[in-house]
Amino acid sequence: MFHAKKPSTPTMNSHERAMCVQGDSGLVLTTDPKPRLRWTVELHERFVDAVTQLGGPDKATPKTIMRVMGVKGLTLYHLKSHLQKFRLGKQPHREYDHSSKDSERASVELQKHTASSSGMMNRSMNDVQMEVQRRLHEQLEVQRHLQLRIEAQGKYMQTILEKACQTLANENMAASGSYNNNKATMGNIHHGIMMPPDISTLKDFGQHQLPLSFPPLQDLNIYGGGHHELDQLHHQQDGFMQNNDNLLCLGNNKKKRPSNNFCYDDLRLQDLGGPTTSQDDPFEDENHNRIRLAPLSIDRGENDIDRVSSDHLYNTKQIFDADNVFCEKKQLERPSPKRINPSVMVSGPMQQGRSSPFNLAN
Amino acid sequence: MFIDNQIPEFDMYENITTTTTTTSTTTMASQGTSLEDFDQAGHMCNNWSPVVDWEALSAPNGDDLQGLIQSMMDENTPSESHYPSFPSSGTFRDVLSHSISPESQMDHEEFTSATTSTEDAKGLNLIHLLMAAAEALTGAHESRELARVILVRLKDLVSPNEGTNMERLAAYFTEALQSLLEGTSNNNNIKNLFNHQKDEHHQSDILAAFQLLQDMSPYVKFGHFTANQAIVEAVKDERRVHVIDFDIMEGIQWASLMQALVSRTDGRPAPHLRITALTRGGGGGRRSIGTVQETGKRLAAFAASIGQPFSYHQCKTDSDETFKPTGLKLVKGEAIIMNCMLHLPHFSHRWMDSVASFLAGSKTLCPKLITLVEEEVSPLNDGGFVGRFMDSLHHYSALYDSLEAGFPLQGRARALVERVFLGPRIGRSIAQIYRSRGEEKGGHCGTSWSQWLDNAMGFSPVSLSFANHCQAKLLLGLFNDGYRVEELGCNKLVLGWKSRRLLSASIWTCPEYSNLE
Repeated sequence: MFHAKKPSTPTMNSHERAMCVQGDSGLVLTTDPKPRLRWTVELHERFVDAVTQLGGPDKATPKTIMRVMGVKGLTLYHLKSHLQKFRLGKQPHREYDHSSKDSERASVELQKHTASSSGMMNRSMNDVQMEVQRRLHEQLEVQRHLQLRIEAQGKYMQTILEKACQTLANENMAASGSYNNNKATMGNIHHGIMMPPDISTLKDFGQHQLPLSFPPLQDLNIYGGGHHELDQLHHQQDGFMQNNDNLLCLGNNKKKRPSNNFCYDDLRLQDLGGPTTSQDDPFEDENHNRIRLAPLSIDRGENDIDRVSSDHLYNTKQIFDADNVFCEKKQLERPSPKRINPSVMVSGPMQQGRSSPFNLAN
Repeated sequence: MFIDNQIPEFDMYENITTTTTTTSTTTMASQGTSLEDFDQAGHMCNNWSPVVDWEALSAPNGDDLQGLIQSMMDENTPSESHYPSFPSSGTFRDVLSHSISPESQMDHEEFTSATTSTEDAKGLNLIHLLMAAAEALTGAHESRELARVILVRLKDLVSPNEGTNMERLAAYFTEALQSLLEGTSNNNNIKNLFNHQKDEHHQSDILAAFQLLQDMSPYVKFGHFTANQAIVEAVKDERRVHVIDFDIMEGIQWASLMQALVSRTDGRPAPHLRITALTRGGGGGRRSIGTVQETGKRLAAFAASIGQPFSYHQCKTDSDETFKPTGLKLVKGEAIIMNCMLHLPHFSHRWMDSVASFLAGSKTLCPKLITLVEEEVSPLNDGGFVGRFMDSLHHYSALYDSLEAGFPLQGRARALVERVFLGPRIGRSIAQIYRSRGEEKGGHCGTSWSQWLDNAMGFSPVSLSFANHCQAKLLLGLFNDGYRVEELGCNKLVLGWKSRRLLSASIWTCPEYSNLE
């Protein structure tokens, strides 16, 4: 997962597209007695794609290029000389940078309209094209790398969070033990509140949260430059979703990460011991307490948890005092505090989930 | 708005007309007090502060003073008056009317029409109160009593968890000023003022906030990725790389570097990567060492999972948190990278001396590359405490706005990030400014670290590559449109929010390094 990915799908697609346009072979040959191959824009594009796919002009060989390109009629001889030129062309031609816009257009025009192709002309056109191509490809490379880096960072972040959740769970375990003795009521609160929400919130989260917030944006292919649609959405939509969708366009892992981020307000913070950390929390000393209490707020659908955390506390005390005996009994057989699965709860924007070879939390 | 690299984005003190015009269009669209409003307030400060008779204000028993404060603190005055946020008290307006030139009068006219909502008015009112408090605390005519009164009023008005951006932000600034007030009056050591409180968030809070911050904004990734890209390029011919990391935290930066190293396209195997993390020798050292160790394990596991040869070391700083290059284990032939991240999730920006010792110490190590990410502060040195206080307010206001744009509906998520990262940071930077107000020019407090590296330390800039620039742009494309990237000089990329620069990443090398080769 962490290894370099070959940009297989997009390039293949463009091959196929090129194929369609150009027919089966798509080669243009001069009518000289010794037919020379005409490197059309499309053909060159495919050539460049193939070279990139093979790891750059220095690694690619005519043979491998021929295999990857798979164009009938293209010979090793053609590829050899073209690759040679291409390798030379890869050396920076800075001087073209400034004039490239115009000369590029000019050369394209030329290529379109001039049937006769003198060798000289061809070379300079190629140079310009190659420079443009080079930049483009560098950009694509950067994009590909960026995606990998974001993924790596996301995965790494996830291991941190998983670990943290584990630690929390352990803390909670230890804590519930110590409470049994002297603070039965407290235990009740934990118990009464913890169990149902753990399940129900997860469900909530998995089921309706996600369709609720996701659908309208899915199809935006912003990355290529549909920025106008995006602009509109800015104003209408939660900016966060726009984040997601942008990411989606960059990455391929769409399905994996639908919901993760939407739990911020409703779930994650509470689960991780979020906003209820007010200073006047009566249980300030025991961190786990506030974490356990938190799901209550979710359960009740309160929005302003921050403010009312201590109120909740008192309310719940009253409520659950009544069940004292019952709960105390149950407490003993309470399973290990099953926190909401951290990988579902909190995850990097690019999480890949199970298939990751990087799994710290064993 | 982000037009020219050369012009410092300092419309708070200049460019009055331009910003005002933009303001009138944008403010209508946005709810609450926004950055633009803040710019407005900045102009107002600009126009007013020199003229305002602070002597009169801070005279303890003056009737005018009473009236002024009363009116400043009265929420209801503003909206119908000419200046929506400003007290209609006779005294102050008299003073003002003298000071306002016809030109700026126009600005204000325009401005009045733009900010009709009471929220905006309240925001501006808060800014004025904060400024007044800062002035009272440190100005030529110090009046702690006045500062105290204003702060009490401010505390009534704001809460860090509720209200508009400006209100929440003001709450943290109020708190910061309050701490200064208490710290100074008790003759406490201000240096320790912010080190204890506030850092006591539960680990899970910090992680959640960290994760949120990463998702909400490009701050974290921008800094890390720009630095990493520079590192990858610098070490492309190296077989051994040694990164000395000033503040490794959870090690999040290095996952992507490893990824980049193993997926090089030139087909050569990844170089051996060694990371040395600094651990703090001073207070709280044990916790730091524990975290750093755990980070090492995690990084090693990650490296193993992707096949990156890796080793990890720690280097303890002295008890005063200065960095000693002699504490490092060095291997001959390895390329040394000094990595110094001081931006948002990193906490260690507060150890000014420590940062200085790290960067200065790198001189003796002759590193191949120094990567530095820091917050962009105003280049203004002569503003004194109040000027820098206001600049800081401006800076964080931009930050708040950018976070809000990332998560408009997730108020609680933002509140968490604010509480965990921004609040403490605000407190510290205000304390920092306060502490360094006497010693302007001396040291590096007035300037950015990158300037210091350049001027005082004599490091040479390393040009940023096209790929690096490109990467930053692509990265920002994933976030809100309000983010900007600009290139400053050849070796510095700046991340900005609208017209305000937020943080910069710059890369440097030791001049001797090129001589060695």
